[in-house]
Amino acid sequence: MAVRDTPIHRLHPLIKLLASLGFILIVVSFGRYSLIPMIPMVFCPTVVMALSETPYGLLLKRCALALPFCLLAGISNLVLDTGTALTLGSLSISTGLFSFLTLLFKAYLSVITVLLLVATTPIHVISEAMQRLKIPSLMITLFEMTYRYLGTLLEEASAMALAYGLRSRQQKGIELRHMGSFVGQLLLRSFDRAERIYQAMKLRGYPAAHLSPTERKVSSRDILYLVLVLGSSLIFRALDITGAVNIIERLLP
Amino acid sequence: MHMADALLSPAVGLTMGAVSAGAMALSVSRINKDDLSDKKVPLMAVSGAFVFAAQMINFTIPATGSSGHIGGGMLLAALLGGYPSFLTLSVVLIIQALFFADGGLLALGCNIFNMGLIPCLLVYPLVFRPLLKRGVSYKSLTLASILSVVSGLQLGSLGVVLETAASGVTELPLNAFLLVMQPIHLAIGLVEGIITAAILGFVHRMRPDLVEAAQSVPSTPKVTFKKVLALLAVLTVLTGGILSLYASKNPDGLEWSIEKVAGTSELSAENPLHESAAFIQDRTALMPDYDYTSENSSTIPGTSLAGLIGGGLTFLLAGVTGLVLSRIKKKKPQFTRLRENQY
Repeated sequence: MAVRDTPIHRLHPLIKLLASLGFILIVVSFGRYSLIPMIPMVFCPTVVMALSETPYGLLLKRCALALPFCLLAGISNLVLDTGTALTLGSLSISTGLFSFLTLLFKAYLSVITVLLLVATTPIHVISEAMQRLKIPSLMITLFEMTYRYLGTLLEEASAMALAYGLRSRQQKGIELRHMGSFVGQLLLRSFDRAERIYQAMKLRGYPAAHLSPTERKVSSRDILYLVLVLGSSLIFRALDITGAVNIIERLLP
Repeated sequence: MHMADALLSPAVGLTMGAVSAGAMALSVSRINKDDLSDKKVPLMAVSGAFVFAAQMINFTIPATGSSGHIGGGMLLAALLGGYPSFLTLSVVLIIQALFFADGGLLALGCNIFNMGLIPCLLVYPLVFRPLLKRGVSYKSLTLASILSVVSGLQLGSLGVVLETAASGVTELPLNAFLLVMQPIHLAIGLVEGIITAAILGFVHRMRPDLVEAAQSVPSTPKVTFKKVLALLAVLTVLTGGILSLYASKNPDGLEWSIEKVAGTSELSAENPLHESAAFIQDRTALMPDYDYTSENSSTIPGTSLAGLIGGGLTFLLAGVTGLVLSRIKKKKPQFTRLRENQY
């Protein structure tokens, strides 16, 4: 998914990173009750998502995984903050509900921003951007290699868990008293693997100089993207949508 | 224990980010000084991947029917040493934040501090290593593992509580939050400590060199109580500064409700003046219940019917924009594909 050719994928990775970080900072800087003024912020991720052809269902599924902690932390707002914010007829809405929903909305926006960034940037491009940021090569190699061996070790662990499940009476999870030898075994296998990888790397001439990334200039398109994202969010941050509603109302005869 | 972006204020997120980045830079320079650094890299990377795999393994707690997984921070510190394990955990947390939506970009600094810096650079040199000074045995390994995992998790959850409180996003009083978080993490810490001890015991039996070598390396961080005190002092000043900034900007709950009450009473006094104009407006406006003066004095922005409707409309507009754009995009690729086929 990260290797596609859309206007978003073609952007400079550093610009994308800056835009995402700035966007999240602006989202987080909204006051704790500003649910309504924050709503226009939803435009940016939605447009980026559409332009990058990222399927919405997948993003939502990933988002749902990240929400529980915010839910737990936010529930206190519902219970403890019981001022009345608004009455609609006989229905009164508490301030707690407002701050709770604000928190959830912030969580949604920040999570989806990170997911969109990763969904449109392949890992080798991310590490190239890190290189350009002068992050030490030790960190970059570590980042790339950890990502590389993640799948391998997950596979190994699930093969071991399957074997354990077939041998034991219970199918769900590892018994606590077997955890030591089970994880210990996995750990020893991982360390042995690391030794083999080191030897293989040495044979191929490690530590060789890091390949310098292909020079990529920041184009006017990239600048435009950055200005659009940050500019629009700053405007939304400064302007209250309800103020806009009011202006329209005034204009009406 | 991963903190999310939404729970943080920009000041807290950026401060913790700077602290963690500084610690990472220090660790990199320390490891680069080491002659064996190129051998350490694959070991660290595979250990990082191992942490992911270990977190995937669910164990069952006997007689309770519940299950859980280990965090693995102290385990890595015991086998790799302070600085390498800190860097490895940092990379694990970065990958979790980017690819698994666990934590967030802004929260990375907090998460690296709570789950990496505390166990690897504070608890490991101050608790784990001194306990193993007199030689590695089954008993000393068990004691050291349990004590250090418990203290690491206690400090880590304390960090979560303080960072959340300093950000002021939730309504939770500090005491109540502490009373919930600390006992839960005491239980988690005990179980994880026992498992860590079992794993280290197993590894020690199979490959005693691995465990003992890590403890004899002199290049582990030399943390003295003086340095820890200095760090704590800096952090206290920083958080104090952030807290006071926050306190002056946002009045607390009581003040806030007083302000709100005052605001509404002022409003009713003002209303007669506007009545004649309001009457005409009420008849003609799209959203008649809307009152501009009330909007200005209310502390909660957009708390009016008009605000709600406006917000809803904005939401809809954004959705439609997205839909239209993706429709257009979906039509486009067919052309390009056709063209590719022709070539």
